[in-house]
Formats: sequence, structure tokens, C-alpha cells
Amino acid sequence: MKDIYILGIESSCDETSFSIVKNGIEEISTVISSQIAIHKQYGGVVPEIASRAHIKNITFVIEECLDKAGITLNEITAIAVAYGPGLIGSLLVGVECAKTLAFLYHKPLIPVHHIAGHIYANNLVKRLEFPLIALVISGGHTELIYMDKDYSFRKLGSTLDDAVGECYDKVGRVIGVEYPGGPVIDKLAQIGKPNYKLPLPLNDDSYNFSFSGLKSAVINLAHNEYQKGRELNKEDLAKSFQDVVIETLTKKTMHAIKDYKVKNLILAGGVAANTGIRNAFQELCEKENISYTFPSIKYATDNAAMIASCGYYAYLDGRIADLTLNPESSLELK
Amino acid sequence: MKVFYIDTSSSYLYAGIAVDKFLVASIKKNFGKDLSKYTISEIAKLFQEASLEPEDIDKIIVVSGPGSFTGIRIGMTFAKIFAWSLKKDITTITSLDAMALVDSDKLVVPIIDARRGFVYASIHEKDKIILKNQYIKLDSLIAYLDNLKKEYLFVTNQDNFDLPSIKYDPDILKIINTYQDKPSINPHLVEPTYLKLTEAEENLRNIHHDN
Repeated sequence: MKDIYILGIESSCDETSFSIVKNGIEEISTVISSQIAIHKQYGGVVPEIASRAHIKNITFVIEECLDKAGITLNEITAIAVAYGPGLIGSLLVGVECAKTLAFLYHKPLIPVHHIAGHIYANNLVKRLEFPLIALVISGGHTELIYMDKDYSFRKLGSTLDDAVGECYDKVGRVIGVEYPGGPVIDKLAQIGKPNYKLPLPLNDDSYNFSFSGLKSAVINLAHNEYQKGRELNKEDLAKSFQDVVIETLTKKTMHAIKDYKVKNLILAGGVAANTGIRNAFQELCEKENISYTFPSIKYATDNAAMIASCGYYAYLDGRIADLTLNPESSLELK
Repeated sequence: MKVFYIDTSSSYLYAGIAVDKFLVASIKKNFGKDLSKYTISEIAKLFQEASLEPEDIDKIIVVSGPGSFTGIRIGMTFAKIFAWSLKKDITTITSLDAMALVDSDKLVVPIIDARRGFVYASIHEKDKIILKNQYIKLDSLIAYLDNLKKEYLFVTNQDNFDLPSIKYDPDILKIINTYQDKPSINPHLVEPTYLKLTEAEENLRNIHHDN
């Protein structure tokens, strides 16, 4: 069979990224331009600033990606783009770019769901084995997904309020660490002790999550400590908080794994880079004899390699869009 | 010389292809909120109508704004990728420059709503620029105009504009002929003309200023 080269495009939040992946598994080149330094001064991603940065960066990033790969646009088989969910203005730049290239070079245009992309970041580590349960954890998502074959997704449950990554960022603000709070809390948790008591959220039999109560509990706790004139132990609070997050994530996920009699687990999304969460799942999976894959740290956060990998299977499945493809800020994974 | 023109700085798609100063295909259509959906498929039709391939184009003229932030980025992304990938010459003009190309003995004042009592505008007298492109309070603009003590004419593509004005209906060939020899720029450096910082940037600047 002829090799298939997919050009992936990702611009759904604050990363402009292009990648070329061969046959869904072999990464040829990936370039990610992160805007994190810009958004840091605002304490979070500012959508209009993100959109402006995308259009400024776009040709530099794609050129570097093609140069690194030594491949021309003519040699690309198809163009895959993350068209949602995400920030509409950010997505727009990637989608317009993909449509333009599809038009100029007469290439098939493949719309890819951003979360499907995150799941396929694992395909670049090890070929996915089905059936599987995917736990998607990021700044915008907390979902449990069941897959019995490529590019087939069934959502079992999701967060009812805040996403887990969002909760990390907010707790980060309470503790007084810079945005994004997740990586810092993860580090602090490694040296802290679970000395603060926090409630386990949505402790039921569903596959859904809830993080707003946990966030409020942390805020209240910090407030109470302050009123009592006691200094907050950042490390201990980070550890106490992360332990509760891990408990709710592992409990719901293992519940789904057992119910669906699945032998494969994958983690996906930016929070899948969290050491504490990875270690907990690794330990549990080894104990329960479940095969697991975690995304590489560099491709846990937004990148185009995952979009290109996922795009390959969408392409094989015949999911081709025409030039009226439009970005969508909210989009169900189907 | 084959020139491609595109302006998506409002909810309208204005685009055209001229061959040796002759307009062979063009579109002027209001897509409202669906501009991002239809722009590229309409451009594909435009090339078909002209029996040309993108490869045949010698120069791209793209309107860089000011106007709708989202709108600007649709045409700009297309034009940037087009020029960069097929190594085409590209130049930018502002939406106000395009709107100012009206024959009139009065002062010509292209004006675009920028919300909250502000507009993007400039003032032209024949070929002379009296007030360069800017983000300005509508009241201040009118006071400035009244001070000039000359008759003036607003050009706008806004419906229900209260002041004496003509509706913007671009003469695409005239725009192309006027600007096709404007020096080209490196496609990497082609950037929108927003004329306005984002709100977050404004706030941050104010904080720094106060300190």
C-alpha cells in the first residue's frame, strides 16, 4: 500500500501547531508554537489575543514543519484540522488555513475532533488496542470515552461543571502560583502531606465528574485558615487536593473499565502529563492487570501530531469535508 | 498581469480577479455570520468562473482591516497561505483605503462602526489624506469634520446609518487598478490592521500606566 502522509493542523486554544504523520503512527515532523508566555501576564488565555497570535505565527510554523520533514505540500496525501471544540476565533485560523491548502493543492480535507486528537496522541506511543477506555483530562474537558474500533467514540460520562485542569488552575490561584497552576501543584504535591481534609466529589455510581465543589472547598479552606491567622501550607494543600482528584478520577475510570470489561486504558489531554495522576493509574493498572498507555509528555498538551494521527483513521473511514467546513466552539465527540 | 483581490473585513465577501486590468470574475455578497463558512468555497467558484488556477495569479491584494476582527482573519489567513505557499506577490490595503475610492467634490469619509460610540475612519479630499486611518469617537470625528467647514460624505456599509452617507459598493476593478503596483511584502509579515488593542491589553496597559 502507498504511504499516506497527513498534514495535521491544531489551533484550538493557545498553541499553533503543524505536523506530518506517516500512516497514522510515524511522526515525521511536528512544530508547536506556544503562546503561554503571552497569556501568563493575563492569568489565563485571552481569546482575542490568541487569535491574533495564531494568524501572526501561522506561516512560520507550517514552513518550519515542512522544512524539518523535507516534504512539500504536493507530497501530502490529505489535510487534517482540529475544527472543534475550542476557542472559536482560534479554531477559525486553523480551519481557514486547512481549507485554503485543500483548495490550492486539491487535497482531501479531514475534520478532526480535538478530543479525538488527544486520544490519538497515544497512538504515536503505541498502536491503540480495542476495546479501550480513554480518560480525557485537560483544561477544558474531563470525559470517559469507550472505543471498540478506530475513530468510533462513545461518551460514558463527563464533568458536570468545571474541567479538572480548570480546577487545577483555580486552586493554583488560591495557593498563589502562576498560571497554568497544574504543573506547579503537581510538583508541590510530591513534597506535601495530605494534612487538609477535602470532600470527595460526586461519589456515586455514574461515570460523571464534578470539580466545582472541590474548588469551593479549597477556597473556603484557604479563607478559614487566613481568618484564623494560620499560614497555608502550600505543599500540604497541593497534596491534599491532588489526592482527592486522583481518587475521583481512578474510582470512576476503574468502575467503567470493570463495567465494560475492557483490558486497555489510555489517558489523554494536558492533565495526563501530571506525574501524580500517571503514577496512580500505572500502579492500579499493574495491580488489576490492565494494559495502559499514556501520551508522551510533549504531546499530552495541544499539538498537531495527534490531529494528523487521528486524521489518518478518519481519512480511512472516508470522513472528508468540503470547503464549507466551519469551526465549532462546542462539538460532541461522535 | 493577473491580480486576485479579497476583502472580508465586514460581513461581506468582496473578491475579484482581474486580468490585464479587466475584471474577469467578482463577488460582492453579504454572508452575515456565515462568512467563514462560505468564503473559500466562493473563491473556488470565482476561479472556476475565470477559468484560472490559483497558480496563474501574479499578485494578491488583501484588505487588512480595520473592521470585524473575525472577518479580517478569514481573508488574511487565505491570502497569507496563498502567497506563502505558491510564492505569490502580496500587498495589503486597509478597508478604509478601499472605501475612500469614491469620486466626489466633497470630503470623503469612510467609516466603520467599532462599537461603544467609536468608529474606524479617515478623511480624504480627492487624492489627499486629511485624517489618516484611526479608531476615534464618532462625536470627535464629527466635531473635527465640522471644524474643517467643508461639505463631507460618509461612506459606510452599515445599514441604518443616521448621517448623510452613501452605501459602500466597491468598484473592485478600480481598487485593483489603483493598488496593483503597490510594493509587495513578505507573506510571513502580512498582518491584520486592527487599529485597536484587545480589551485585555488595554487594561494591562492602564495598570502599568497607573503604576
